[in-house]
Amino acid sequence: MTETTVSPERPLVVEEGEEQRGFIGQSVPRKEDKRLVQGEGVFFDDVKRHEMGFVHFARSPYAHARIKSVDVSKALELDGVYGTLTGDEVAILTDPFFELSTPPGANIKDYALAVGKVRHVGDPVAAVVARTRELARDAAELVEVDYEPLPVLLDGEEALKDEVVLHDDAASNTVWSGIFDWGDFDAALAEADHVVRIERLHFDRFSSTPLECSGCLVEYNRGTGQWTIHGTHQMPGVGAIWMAPALRVGIDKLRFVSQDIGGGFGNKITLHPQFTACCLLARKLNRPVQWTEWRTDQHTANTHGNERTFLDVTVPVKADGTMLGFSVRAIDDCGAFPRYEPLGCIIWAQVTPGCYRWRNVRVDFTQVCTNKSPVAPNRGYSRMQHLWLTERIVDIVANELGLDPVEVRKRNYVKQDEFPYETPNGCVYDSGDYARCLDIALELIGYETIEDRRREAESRGKLLGIGIGSTLDSGTNNFGQSMILNPELQFSGNNEVATVKLDIFGEIVVTLGTVPQGQSHETTTAQVVADILGCSPDDVNVRAGHDTYWNSHAGFSGTYASQFAVTGLGAVKGAADKLAGEMKLLASAVFGCSPDDIELAEGHARIKGNPEAALPFMALGAILNANNAGLPPDLDISLNVRYVYRPPFEKPDLERKFGNLTLTYATQIHACVVEVDPETGVYEIVDYAAVDDCGKRIHPQIVEGQVHGATAHALGAATHEIFTYDEEGNLLTPNFYDYHVPHALDMPPMRTGYVESESPFTPLGAKGMGEGGGAGIHAMCAALQNALGRRGEGPIVSRSCNPYHRVWELLQNPSESRKLVTVESR
Amino acid sequence: MLLRDVEYARPASVEDAVRLLSEFDGARALAGGQTLINVMKARAASPDVLVDLNDLDDLKGIELGSDGTLEIGAMATYTDVMTSAEARARPILGEVCAQIADVQVRNRGTIGGNVCSNDPTNHLPPLLVAVGATMTIVGAGEERSVPADEFFLGVYMTAAGPGELLTKITVPPGKSDGFASVTIGKEGTCIVNAAASLSDGSPRVAIGCVDAVPVLLQPSSSEASAVREAVRGASLMPPSDVHASADYRRHLAEVLAARAVTQASGGK
Amino acid sequence: MDVVSSKTITVEVNGARYEREVDARRLLIHFLRDDLDLTGSHIGCDTGNCGACSVLVDGTLVKSCMLLGIQADGAKIETVEGLAQDGRLTALQQSFSDHHALQCGYCTPGMLMSATALLRANPHPSELEIRHGIQGNICRCTGYVNIVEAIRAAAE
Repeated sequence: MTETTVSPERPLVVEEGEEQRGFIGQSVPRKEDKRLVQGEGVFFDDVKRHEMGFVHFARSPYAHARIKSVDVSKALELDGVYGTLTGDEVAILTDPFFELSTPPGANIKDYALAVGKVRHVGDPVAAVVARTRELARDAAELVEVDYEPLPVLLDGEEALKDEVVLHDDAASNTVWSGIFDWGDFDAALAEADHVVRIERLHFDRFSSTPLECSGCLVEYNRGTGQWTIHGTHQMPGVGAIWMAPALRVGIDKLRFVSQDIGGGFGNKITLHPQFTACCLLARKLNRPVQWTEWRTDQHTANTHGNERTFLDVTVPVKADGTMLGFSVRAIDDCGAFPRYEPLGCIIWAQVTPGCYRWRNVRVDFTQVCTNKSPVAPNRGYSRMQHLWLTERIVDIVANELGLDPVEVRKRNYVKQDEFPYETPNGCVYDSGDYARCLDIALELIGYETIEDRRREAESRGKLLGIGIGSTLDSGTNNFGQSMILNPELQFSGNNEVATVKLDIFGEIVVTLGTVPQGQSHETTTAQVVADILGCSPDDVNVRAGHDTYWNSHAGFSGTYASQFAVTGLGAVKGAADKLAGEMKLLASAVFGCSPDDIELAEGHARIKGNPEAALPFMALGAILNANNAGLPPDLDISLNVRYVYRPPFEKPDLERKFGNLTLTYATQIHACVVEVDPETGVYEIVDYAAVDDCGKRIHPQIVEGQVHGATAHALGAATHEIFTYDEEGNLLTPNFYDYHVPHALDMPPMRTGYVESESPFTPLGAKGMGEGGGAGIHAMCAALQNALGRRGEGPIVSRSCNPYHRVWELLQNPSESRKLVTVESR
Repeated sequence: MLLRDVEYARPASVEDAVRLLSEFDGARALAGGQTLINVMKARAASPDVLVDLNDLDDLKGIELGSDGTLEIGAMATYTDVMTSAEARARPILGEVCAQIADVQVRNRGTIGGNVCSNDPTNHLPPLLVAVGATMTIVGAGEERSVPADEFFLGVYMTAAGPGELLTKITVPPGKSDGFASVTIGKEGTCIVNAAASLSDGSPRVAIGCVDAVPVLLQPSSSEASAVREAVRGASLMPPSDVHASADYRRHLAEVLAARAVTQASGGK
Repeated sequence: MDVVSSKTITVEVNGARYEREVDARRLLIHFLRDDLDLTGSHIGCDTGNCGACSVLVDGTLVKSCMLLGIQADGAKIETVEGLAQDGRLTALQQSFSDHHALQCGYCTPGMLMSATALLRANPHPSELEIRHGIQGNICRCTGYVNIVEAIRAAAE
């Protein structure tokens, strides 16, 4: 049931002896697999230390309450309990975590444990450490907290009123607020032949819920004041920037180590509060402490993706279907604490017009706190929510004005010959061919026969719908966009690090600053290094995981923002190129020729045209490291290279909120066919096509794996994955029983296709593509819209997640949702 | 995720099991554990003593009588029912068991556990009410039979009380059965289910997920309109929750009841 | 018979015999991971839905988070660590790698045990049967596409 159309073809690994075609572009065997298929991976919970204590957090049952007292005495009496930590201690021992926003958001005080108040159900109030996991859990129940419940705030629009305020220090729920205005929206309105107004659209709260929950094992070395954190942090560069000042220590006192991580998808970036609590406990108790997050904790008290309401969407349209832009008021609900926010307030601007040539955009953006779980940069972070808006706009406008959904997209898409394309706010879309991707998706889905299929479904009493979802995965952040939000911030550009060395016995060893959670960094790194050094990926030993002691990290090191193929591999390429240069220099010194006469091939440094004159890598390594007498004194090489890749960015124009915020843009154009049972609202996705363009594909099979995974996440978010709260702030979907993620039987048949529009801006022509832009959500909403309400009649799909009950409500009461849309035709 | 302290016993006979369940106030029978262990992980309930029934081979058999009556031991797993040649005498049993969760759960979860936990979203309570099954309960020194439609008393409550054990379920002969459900995802949590059975052309429909116990209806005929009217006439007051509103459940009850009856009549 | 709060149990795991004292309340998955240091089987949820803990107990595929360690006294258990022999991967493990059926690898041990159980019972499953066979195993990375393909290819 799975078909793959690949353009170009996927070649096999090069046979030994054949002329090397290069490993980049081949689907070579994955290095990570051997240990993982044998259960020999090392995930944080696999690591054990003698006499370690297990941490359990006592958490708030209230969504909003003052903490009147915390009494841990009964917990401490339990045999086997080693110690506790409370908010009072944290407030003395640490400083609040660094806030990114301007006032009032800047005044929020965020600590490792709740201080003075709890602000969401699950907010950790105290921590207990015990000899066994079960005892820690028992002891946590004995912590007595006296709460004074406060009114609960669960709605973003309500939060704007500041009647119930979460953070007294900020005296407002508004984390950040601003107006973005590019082009001339008023002129566009005046010019329009139709104006389509959508009163409200809502992007629902969900999370990519990695299968491995968060956690860490922390050791403290009293002699050196050094903490070692074996944990799931996927962005330790930034994690340290939060934790070190809070703990009042230098950055180097925090060593982050990980080998294997069971998925992250952005939900393992803001772990600094829990990790800081564990650091304090390890130091206080003078023993290693281990914290494992359970599933319910992850759903209630780790992180969600941003929930966003779009109000007063106004779209000027010309008679021929050209859209001129849009204006919108956006309210982003970031939950109880901003943490990585308010970056989400600008990051969407990387894709301001979506896939479209819209020049006039006005966005009034406000982010607020509510008594829900805090958010984190969940897969698709902030762009996905915005791209969903642009796709709902195209879909609803086409629907209301009777425009052909394919035609209207092609009319409005950025055209292939317009790349690199500068958007109204100065972002540069590097390359792409949206129309071609759409054509391939339509071919894969059998678009030509769709009306036949619709009739056939009707004969069985079912409503068939087809939807297109166009989206972008913008990758490699320019952190200078943070300055648009807060000019006081000192973050801009980006970086990543790699080291490559040639060891004494000729082994090539690479360390990365990135933190893979399944993205195959070891494998793709080996491909790049092998091509540069002229050997095979099997000869390249890439150390698994991340360790700050390797010194292969920088301020922004980590794995996020769809950037590994650019920043990570850019660093690898830079280091390997430098090492190659040194190897050639050394060989030329040994042979007494010019370095330009040397080539690296088949694991040797040899004189071009004279393959007999060849030094194996082992010889080079041995000469420099152990047998170096007689080498020229000015031969300045080490065969141990560290390289920092820096993407070419400028600081943005803060006044105009203008500038290039992202280096690359991968394209995803998906098509979805859905069958709805009008009697029940139950639907089934009967066909699905995904076309991806991420420039040069380093490893096609890995790229395709990411496409499959991103699609599964998107379809989950479009169907059943939604975080819903009751009036008291209890999460109603706190585990996998009620929060249904796709299982094997839930997935539709998937057909995939590829285009490779190389990026002119990146070292390898590749683009990051690990997040995807939520295309499955956009396509599903469009497919349901097509099934339920077409040609200006019937219900309007205005929410991103549409479980069966919502579809049924749309069918029962089409006029309710129809009220959301008005069309003014001139 | 982590259980409270508990004591454990693994009796070798039904008599020993019943004695243990009577002796300790906070004793609970541990059958497949696919529900109870999760309840204990959440600490929503914490029995003092777990009486593990997994050594009671007497409760695992599935027997087919010459008159077509099936006797299913309470400790028969869903997989046992699905693979049992005898159980094929009443195919709906295996068909419904095959829709429960997944292979791992089906390998351990038991028929007895499913009905005794009486989670309103379980499939077997309405199914067994529809087919008119009889439950055999053993207590200290006595054995009694309770028809399925009197067995389910409330949410998580059945006629098998403290100190008692469900030992077997007797299913009368028949083949005109149907079952329809709407679940979150394939084989996920159930929103509404309906089981139907025709005996002498007269339909019995039991609807689950709409009340504390399965709601048994006997429509005047197998016509969809008669079934739907019977459901409406029952004035159901289903719960509203994150997956469905009361209205939606009420509507689904009508639709699924009619579909189950149609299936039982041999239609599709 | 005894009512106990803990017991010294004997289990055979992947052919090796272990004797340990275990509290009645300790889940089998924690017994395997923490007491026997067999960390190949994983934990991904707390409601028995994800299947990352799947192992074979006396030849039957179960989720070890819904069994108590004490219940496994006398049982023969197979976990992912027992699949490869002397570092030689099984056809299934090799097929998982060949078809990129794992990304982060966290669901993989449970997935492999489910696939092993499936192929033992049904050496040539259809695609639908494969999906039923792994329905109790959640993966958040792969969308199951390559997992299904890997199992199908290994069955050939």
